[in-house]
Amino acid sequence: MTFLPFAHALAARQDLPIPAWLFAWGASIVLIASFFALSIAWREPRFEDERWRALGAGVSRALFHPAMQGLCGLFGVFLLGVSVYAGLRGTEAPDRNFALTFLFVTVWLGVPVLSVVFGNVFRLFNPWRAVGRAAGAGISALAGQRPAHLAYPAALGRWPAAAGLVAVVWLEVVYGASGGVAVGLSPDTAAVAALVYSAYTLAMMALFGTERWCETGEVFSVYFGMFSRLGFLGVRDGRLGVRRPLSAATRWAAMPGSAAVVIASIGTTSFDGAQEGAFQGAIESVFERLADAGLGLSATLRLTDTIFILLTLAGVALVYAVGVRGMASGRGAPPFRTLWTGFAHTLIPIAFAYLVAHYFSLFVFQEQAQFTYLLSDPLGTGTTNLFGTASGGIDFTVLSANAIWYVQVGALVVGHVVGLTLAHDRATALWGDYRMAARSQYWMLAVMVTFTCFGLYLLSVANG
Amino acid sequence: MRSNVVRVLVGVALIAAAIVLLIVLKDTDNGTNGGSEKSAGKSVEPASKAGEEGAGKKERAQAVPTIVIKNGKPVGGVVELTYNAGDQVRFRVESDVTDEIHVHGYDLMKDVEAGGSVSFAFSATIEGVFEGELEDRGEQILELRVNP
Repeated sequence: MTFLPFAHALAARQDLPIPAWLFAWGASIVLIASFFALSIAWREPRFEDERWRALGAGVSRALFHPAMQGLCGLFGVFLLGVSVYAGLRGTEAPDRNFALTFLFVTVWLGVPVLSVVFGNVFRLFNPWRAVGRAAGAGISALAGQRPAHLAYPAALGRWPAAAGLVAVVWLEVVYGASGGVAVGLSPDTAAVAALVYSAYTLAMMALFGTERWCETGEVFSVYFGMFSRLGFLGVRDGRLGVRRPLSAATRWAAMPGSAAVVIASIGTTSFDGAQEGAFQGAIESVFERLADAGLGLSATLRLTDTIFILLTLAGVALVYAVGVRGMASGRGAPPFRTLWTGFAHTLIPIAFAYLVAHYFSLFVFQEQAQFTYLLSDPLGTGTTNLFGTASGGIDFTVLSANAIWYVQVGALVVGHVVGLTLAHDRATALWGDYRMAARSQYWMLAVMVTFTCFGLYLLSVANG
Repeated sequence: MRSNVVRVLVGVALIAAAIVLLIVLKDTDNGTNGGSEKSAGKSVEPASKAGEEGAGKKERAQAVPTIVIKNGKPVGGVVELTYNAGDQVRFRVESDVTDEIHVHGYDLMKDVEAGGSVSFAFSATIEGVFEGELEDRGEQILELRVNP
């Protein structure tokens, strides 16, 4: 059956599935690396302490100068404005409109990479934070006192961000796909969504305070912030410094709902990867059954995809829950709750690996468009050539199929090893006895192997 | 005691991995060498049935796959064509509707008249999976796969 409109508006070239021999090699390396990791297990936690050291004061002074903060915030607002304007006024062709590539590729896929390498850069350019802070400062100046905020319910934690993350991906790959193409959201829908999200975010910032909402509910801050914890650059007390890589991740998940955020990241990426490969048959058969209900093609397709994205999320949560349950069942083990929160950060490298594995080629291809014709002709109407690059295009030969495969498998293997490292480290911190700690880790090993091999499997049947 | 368990598990894992590798590698040696078209269970009609129609005609020996468009849709579903990088890609489209045929990635476009046909021939220089579609209708008719 091929009547389902599965096409990528933004991906004129899609990835070939990884060949069987590479799948086997990848899986073997994962297993061998895992058991090797167990056998050289260290006994004292090594990543719980950041060992943060400040960098030169000049850098921090420049970076956190109000003028610099204002300028970067303004730039963020400007880019958001350009995206919304291009979405509303530009061409309906998704690949020719600045809005879709900028929001869903350059920012959504690019900032996680920047965050891992350079730290939490999004904080500096976050348009909503900039507006929120400016409004706060304005109100303070006028009223002579800082605006009062509602107390944020502590139990809610990062749950709003987790829900928002699912909503963003749902809009992109479920709602958007119904138009015939993934990231085939029409540009004006994306613009309207951005406006609705802006209104919601600014309202929440007004209620609970700008910084509070950025820590808990603002999807992009929380999501990008999560990845920035893996890197070696971090800010403490208004100063930029270097820290031991991965160490900042160990304290990320303390807030409720954090596990949900990282599970949402893995689950949504899995669904997007699986819908054109692993799940395609199942999706089509459910679709056919639902089609009799008379909802219409688009609604039926959206309903089917929604069911599958929720099932995927539940599946990812279940795998993690089984692992945590297993760890908690050991003698002298901390309770389930403690472990559920305590090991959530160990999935961040897996989530990042999934992102790289699924979107690396799309990112490399689409960024060529971003910095050529989309930059010079953001509306896609052929009327402007701002930087003289409007006639540029995407060179699809820059990546061979082999190069893509090695990056994909390499990312999953590295993510797996880093995840195991963090898990073992956390176990040595939580269990007094290192032998018990090591034994508990068979469970996390099983969780990681499951995720990594599932990731490899998705790649092996991609676009099948 | 514990280190024994680990060693046994390592051993088991290594053996399992080796077996998997062996089976799979063996399989791929036989399996994926075809450089020609395959139809994936969908209809690809050989365009020139030269052998049957007349020996006098100097038709090409190699059949050119043809995608038949009826009522703006490909007969038998999206046609899948698979090549190796460097091969010459050839196919024909016979259409009962007027539209433009667009091969993505390679970015080739050709108009086709209702009742007419159009041929494509180009070198498979880009690896990956690409769509061919009736541009105006947004209807996918072809999935072109180029293996390295």
